[in-house]
Amino acid sequence: MHLMRPLLVLVGLFLLDASLLSRCWAADPPTPSPAAIRLTKDGDFKQHLQWSPDGKKLLMTRIHEGKMALWIMNADGSDLKLLLAPPPTTPHFDGHWSHDSKKIVYVHDIPQGTDGKLQINTVNADGGDSKVLIPHKAFEESPRWSPDGKRLVWVSTRDGNQDIYCADAEGKNIKRLTSESPLNNNPSWSPDSKRLAFASCRAGNFEIHVMDADGGDVRRLTNHQALDYWPTWSPDGKSIAFTSNRDGNYEIYVMKADGTGVRNLTRHPAQDNYATWSPDGKRIAFISNRDGGHDVYVIDVKN
Amino acid sequence: MLLLGQMRARSCQGMTRRALLEIGVSSVLGLSLAHLLRLRAAGPPQNGTARSVLFLWLWGGPAHLDTWDPKPSAPLEFRGPFSPIATSVNGIRIGELFPQVAKQAHRLALVRSLHTASNDHGVAGTIGLTGSSAGAVGLDGKPQSGSARPALGSIVAKARGLGSKVPPFMVVGGRLHQGKKAIIGEGGGPLGALYDPFRLEYHPAKATTIPVLQLPNDLTPERLGDRQRLLQAFNQAARRMDETPCQALDDYHRQAFAMLASPSASKLFDLGRESDALKDRYGRTRFGQSCLLGRRLIEHGVPFVQVNWSDHVEAEEDSGDGGWDHHYRNFQIMQDRHAPWLDQALSALLTDLHEHGLLERTLVVAMGEFGRSPKINPMAGRDHWEHCYSAVLAGGGIHGGRVIGSSDARGAHPADHPVTPADIAATVQYAVGITSEQAATLGLSTDGKVIEELF
Repeated sequence: MHLMRPLLVLVGLFLLDASLLSRCWAADPPTPSPAAIRLTKDGDFKQHLQWSPDGKKLLMTRIHEGKMALWIMNADGSDLKLLLAPPPTTPHFDGHWSHDSKKIVYVHDIPQGTDGKLQINTVNADGGDSKVLIPHKAFEESPRWSPDGKRLVWVSTRDGNQDIYCADAEGKNIKRLTSESPLNNNPSWSPDSKRLAFASCRAGNFEIHVMDADGGDVRRLTNHQALDYWPTWSPDGKSIAFTSNRDGNYEIYVMKADGTGVRNLTRHPAQDNYATWSPDGKRIAFISNRDGGHDVYVIDVKN
Repeated sequence: MLLLGQMRARSCQGMTRRALLEIGVSSVLGLSLAHLLRLRAAGPPQNGTARSVLFLWLWGGPAHLDTWDPKPSAPLEFRGPFSPIATSVNGIRIGELFPQVAKQAHRLALVRSLHTASNDHGVAGTIGLTGSSAGAVGLDGKPQSGSARPALGSIVAKARGLGSKVPPFMVVGGRLHQGKKAIIGEGGGPLGALYDPFRLEYHPAKATTIPVLQLPNDLTPERLGDRQRLLQAFNQAARRMDETPCQALDDYHRQAFAMLASPSASKLFDLGRESDALKDRYGRTRFGQSCLLGRRLIEHGVPFVQVNWSDHVEAEEDSGDGGWDHHYRNFQIMQDRHAPWLDQALSALLTDLHEHGLLERTLVVAMGEFGRSPKINPMAGRDHWEHCYSAVLAGGGIHGGRVIGSSDARGAHPADHPVTPADIAATVQYAVGITSEQAATLGLSTDGKVIEELF
């Protein structure tokens, strides 16, 4: 037996290395997914894509001519334009729609000295009437209004960790929902406004978790050594899409809301990220650099 | 910076329009006979095999734990959320956000035991660029003792001489700042303005620009083949200059004009001569395309090219790309932007240099001014950490697939083989063949020691 132990250790190390290897450099490029339709062609860096609940618009963060700002376009890719009017000179990003598609909540970065001060603002969907919703107390980001329009969740470092907080839609009655690890982010509401999906590294690396809207009943959905983040709940509540680099590069994955049935939706050697569902749940829009720059694509989702 | 038409503040000697246009026929300007003789007496490079250096300056200080020196066994509040991945070299693992660089590990060496003398961007930046803190100015505005040393690129430029048709030291990227203040150490220092870098900038929307010259909006360096328009622009510029009290250009600006007027200039700058597929491989980001531009400059004989990741350390200042100074949102910015962009650009650069047969004679160095704190701060970020950080070196005689030095269990301090930026500077000098005798002759001696294990 004492001879077996070193052998087992060696085999174990080999398997560990082989598993790591399959995650990165030695992995064959996945078969490209043929079905993605390209909506933009400017190639500017984009992230934080959000489909409006009425299905008419796509909202995103875009870096254009050195400026990070929110941009909005029709869901067919036409009429890409700055959201805020007049556009501020300071960075603003990571917007999210209200349930009626009439307002947008977003992060506004106010540089002070050599630091930025993040706060949560709201603006009308036509770009007017921007105002502060959650003033800067620490670094406030990733605001998400609930589908029933009653609550807001966002991420803040106000208590010394990066945690998820909840308030009513007007930003009052703030409650901390997470406290278990240094990093909790990317909250996403279930369509019935009762549950939240989020990314947390409480298990050691970023994994997708779900919890009740009051922070209770936390369940871990993914269990992989890779990076899993940006979860987004399907409109029927049955699936969750997320980003993972488990196959060596960022891909959009879809799983059932209980964490089973994980499948790679995009299957492309480029970087695919920031999934957002169409309101009918039949398509997912995402950002990819598969054609060189970072553009918006749409792909069908089959159950 | 010279903005043509805005010369009133400068005090200089007279120059006529004719003289200005005549500059274009000469690219060896301001070089004294005595200087040339000294350079020739110093002899050809002896030590290393590198003919060029591509210095990728990751301004702001990348987190070593999230890039090249992951610590999976450290507690979560130190190691962070990212896992290590295997590389093309058995036993070497790097952060999971760099899968493409991982494929190139056999071509690169990691130094994991760097440390520097300051946690102030201004001071550490000067040290990183010159190998010395002399003359550095930190956030408090107080200068460090001594006169600023020349930048590493200026040293290589002086050793290589100015006889080539291309400037010997070029920077792709804006001037490095801490807040509103430009940092010390990007130029020739005591060697004089002649050894300041010739600066280019790449903007995704505007392609390549030359900040020293304010060209008409529609006249980019890529369009310098339009000689008629170029001459018109020069004429206009010269007319404006004749009308101002300031009537001369210093050597640096002469060099800029000479280069612009050179028929071969457009070849240097024109990324349009590269295939779309190759541009895609580098990434359509400012840094990615700047690296591609760097490769073109190296290919055309520029001895030292520095590519600046950003002008400022902070993510906010540049709004777009931003620097590596991630006191907050470190992990989001790393996973969303900085790591994928660096992974793509650095891996493409190494592959491209290899495919062009340039890697063996081009030393590539990628580093910042310091690392970031092993312990995650209360703002989901990492703070400045001068006690330990990492650098990547490849090509130019460097043996790939090696790790030089190691850090302790939390990446807080070097565990062995501590190395300083002065040692990196000495190593670069060695790699390009500057002997200690030559350095002494030229007054360029460094305090550092060559990292011999790299060769």
